[in-house]
Amino acid sequence: MTLCEVTEVAGGVGDFRVTVMERPRYVDVDKCIACGECATICPKKVDDEYNAGTGKRKAVYVKYAQAVPLKYQIDEQACIRMKKPGRCGACAKACPAGAIRFDDTEKMHEIEVGSIILAPGFEGFDPSGTGVYGYGDYPNVITSMQLERYLSASGPTEGQLVRPSDGKPVRRMAFLQCIGSRDENVCGKSYCSSVCCMYAIKEAVIAGEHVPELQTSIFYMDMRTHGKGFDEYYQRAKNEAGIRFVRCRVNGVEPEGKRGDLRLHYVNEEGRQVEEFFDLVVLSIGLETPRHVLELAEKTDIRLTPHNFAAVSDFAPVSTSQAGIFACGAFAGPKDIPQSVMEGSAAAAAAADILSPARHEMTMEKTFPPERDILGEALRIGVFVCHCGSNIAGYVDVEEVADYAATLPGVVHVERNLFTCSQDTQELMVKVIQKQNLNRIVVAACTPRTHEPLFHETIKAAGLNEYLFEMANIRNQNSWVHAGDKKVATRKAQDLTRMAVAKVAWQNPLQNFAVPITHNALVIGGGLAGMAAARNLARQGFPVDLVERSGVLGGNAIHLHNTWSGEHIPHHLYGLISDVSNSKMITIHSETEVVEAQGYVGKFKTTIKGRNGVKQIIEHGVTIVATGGGRLMPDEYGYRKYRGVVSAIEFDKLWEINDKQVRASNAFVFIQCVGSREPERNYCSKVCCTHSVQSAIELKKEDPGRRVYILYRDMRTYGQRETLYKKAREMGVVCINYELHGKPKVDRSDNGFEVEVWDHVLHRPLLISADMIVLAAAIIPGSGAKKLARMYKLPMDKYGFFQEAHTKLRPVDFATDGIFLAGMAHYPKPVEESIAQALAASARAATLLSRDQVLLDAIKAEVDPDCCDGCALCIDVCPYHAISLVEETDDAGVLHKLVTINKAHCKGCGLCQGTCPKRGIAVAGFTFKQLESQLDAALAM
Amino acid sequence: MLNSKTVGSAMVVGGGIAGMQAALDIADAGYFVYLIEYTGAIGGAMAQLDKTFPTNDCSM
Amino acid sequence: MRFEPKIIAFCCNWCAYAAADLAGTSRMQYPSNVRIIRVMCTGMVHPEMILRSFAKGADGTMVLG
Repeated sequence: MTLCEVTEVAGGVGDFRVTVMERPRYVDVDKCIACGECATICPKKVDDEYNAGTGKRKAVYVKYAQAVPLKYQIDEQACIRMKKPGRCGACAKACPAGAIRFDDTEKMHEIEVGSIILAPGFEGFDPSGTGVYGYGDYPNVITSMQLERYLSASGPTEGQLVRPSDGKPVRRMAFLQCIGSRDENVCGKSYCSSVCCMYAIKEAVIAGEHVPELQTSIFYMDMRTHGKGFDEYYQRAKNEAGIRFVRCRVNGVEPEGKRGDLRLHYVNEEGRQVEEFFDLVVLSIGLETPRHVLELAEKTDIRLTPHNFAAVSDFAPVSTSQAGIFACGAFAGPKDIPQSVMEGSAAAAAAADILSPARHEMTMEKTFPPERDILGEALRIGVFVCHCGSNIAGYVDVEEVADYAATLPGVVHVERNLFTCSQDTQELMVKVIQKQNLNRIVVAACTPRTHEPLFHETIKAAGLNEYLFEMANIRNQNSWVHAGDKKVATRKAQDLTRMAVAKVAWQNPLQNFAVPITHNALVIGGGLAGMAAARNLARQGFPVDLVERSGVLGGNAIHLHNTWSGEHIPHHLYGLISDVSNSKMITIHSETEVVEAQGYVGKFKTTIKGRNGVKQIIEHGVTIVATGGGRLMPDEYGYRKYRGVVSAIEFDKLWEINDKQVRASNAFVFIQCVGSREPERNYCSKVCCTHSVQSAIELKKEDPGRRVYILYRDMRTYGQRETLYKKAREMGVVCINYELHGKPKVDRSDNGFEVEVWDHVLHRPLLISADMIVLAAAIIPGSGAKKLARMYKLPMDKYGFFQEAHTKLRPVDFATDGIFLAGMAHYPKPVEESIAQALAASARAATLLSRDQVLLDAIKAEVDPDCCDGCALCIDVCPYHAISLVEETDDAGVLHKLVTINKAHCKGCGLCQGTCPKRGIAVAGFTFKQLESQLDAALAM
Repeated sequence: MLNSKTVGSAMVVGGGIAGMQAALDIADAGYFVYLIEYTGAIGGAMAQLDKTFPTNDCSM
Repeated sequence: MRFEPKIIAFCCNWCAYAAADLAGTSRMQYPSNVRIIRVMCTGMVHPEMILRSFAKGADGTMVLG
């Protein structure tokens, strides 16, 4: 439901009544065919918010070319007709579908739901009001979102990077970080937006690819590239893409001359005042909560943080202050895409926890008539040629195409439709297929990528196997791209139809492959993530086997005290442990390891072995890997050599037991990045900056007279953690930056230690005398991970963390179906992110466990036993390990070799088909015969 | 405390990347979902991004 | 008569074929000589397919993925 906003929420958890207001679109979505005639004729142009104001759109518009739903809408603020009835109205005359509705009105909907998830997102900080760095005054000062659009092929300049002032190609570009973040004075935002460092680097790298001679500088305070793979990207940007990183806050931006050049002045790292000139200055704007979202928060009566993000607990990272209402994405704190996706799934899990008594109550399974057996029937192909309004018919002589199709071999029925995809045509198609006894269907229309599933349903409804179908793409790949020559386009449409007919003639009925699901889960790892996932699955009603290698539950969290927001970890941890231990749905296997794994989604068979040597086989439908992380034992700064040099975790323990040395110490030095962000471990451990800052605050709180230093490389107190960093500095904690090439030196002195570090403010070495040194040691992968990866055939990154299916869009899935990932086994992360990922893994697992079977499509490799000689070449190329070799001896005692396909693993990519020298294996729907027929038909012009 | 009646549906407010993921996962777990979007099309901020790190894949 | 080459393009469903669709959505204009054959991955295009396309008269064959 688009153009909608929540106006009222009544009721409570399990049974909310939500009033939703739908603003008028002024376009009938059932009629609009997104042909764009209306926008072509619309005389009114306004700034395009999709292009962040860099380009123009019409008053009647689609948000962007790939928008879903792809339906036009009228901007009532801009439309001439809406402002003065009786005028203009050109779009209504131009619309071939009669979809324009100037009299459209607001509609109210009352909706009953069990749970509400708020994912309203963010908006970029708008620097125009603040006059920061001349934004709004100088045209060549733009925001990062505007740059994003300039770099896009679908943007206003089609990816050309030119100066807005005069169209001159950009050669020198500067990014200024932290605009609308970490700045209370000018922008009123004290938090860090978390994502800007990374997106600035990305934009800089991509701009460099567009303009090879481009020189880019990024001016920053701390480079916060704390996510998975981020530091490596940062290094590559620096070393390979040649992007210059300058640690300083720029003093000012001023125009130089009249043509648009900009002058930046700043104090460089050597302490000198510098002036530099740039063509383009990009402001890396932060994220903030939009006003309409603040209203939403008010209507739903949920609590917000002082920074206007939804207030959540670190142990329930998607639960708002109202039961049954959840928050995820940037609304629950500034965050990047993978974290938002994780929280989206996590919110689904939390909601499902509440909804589980009513599962499947409001959903329906579609039913279809029994399938007709076409074996032995002669070809009876039906061809449906779509006009798509004027989208095809305007550029192609569809009548000629239809007449031609009727002459093709096997074709017995041809018709033309204004819109083949419309609801009424679908019903008509079903009748025609049945009446004419058609047994193969070709639709000459748009692209199978969007419309094939729809037609599959239609054909199924007609009692025909859904795969007896082919599309000829005569719109996207014909009428739209050969708009200037009707003759040529018509001929190509005929060719494409001929190719489709030739291919479908060789299509056999195919059956979707059903994998039954065993309705329980195996969770490997009894730390925070593993337990959180297990508890959620159990509450959704699924039995869980929880395997823990050690004798106790809790994992690394056992050693932790407070989350960044100050929540007491032991309290929540013991709550979780007792929930998990007392749950009837969860079977805990402690002191137990996984020793063997077999099977696939829905049907895994895992062998576990206890310390006593007893083995047990568990059958389960899904697997969640939550094996956690470990800690690095440092070999520098005098660790394990001197008493008084300790790791952060050890320091916490000493502090807790009121250790004598801690009591007696007056000067503390925290050294960050011990083992992290080094060549052999080029990743950020993510939690240590916040941890050290918190410890420093505690030390200062207890005795403000103590001297506390933090030696850091980049202070990565991301998101709302920034408040801690600010507080620490206010309390007098001295934070000194060092670089990898100038690491601090620790020496023993008469009564403690002497730490030498280069001071970038004073520009000389600084000697700090210290009583205790606390090392922020790196987080490393868990020790059993490698073995597990081998057993389940799971990929790992080069540091030994598990590799998810897609870093952005599938952050908790593995490429292998049915296996999910959570917690530090994926990457170092704080408590709330581990729990969010665990809930996400649980949600992803529940999408499988809630079904009786998974249906996989039939586009899978099939072996032709007459041609396969078991040479096994295909086995090595298969990326999904779906092929295996079988040897059989027949009655005559002759050995036969043959490959077989595990259909649950096969994705139908056909690498086997391209490799096989004997045509012994091919993907159904794309067999040699089909591709050859299609090819021959293409060339028979 | 759960009410005596639980409605087997959820409302997701916001059709960006987080909201869409939430909606898909709830629907796939067997509940009806109402996806409420403020603007005229779903996709959210990510639809505005040209390419995403680390593979510089197109974000569509 | 002008020479009009016949070109066959094997396009991966997930990228090149999608790109060709997008070219349409963006109304980019290009010569009509190319005929696209959709495959689920360019890996499934057997070398024999490419030889066959030349044997049957193609002037050029593209494998896009």
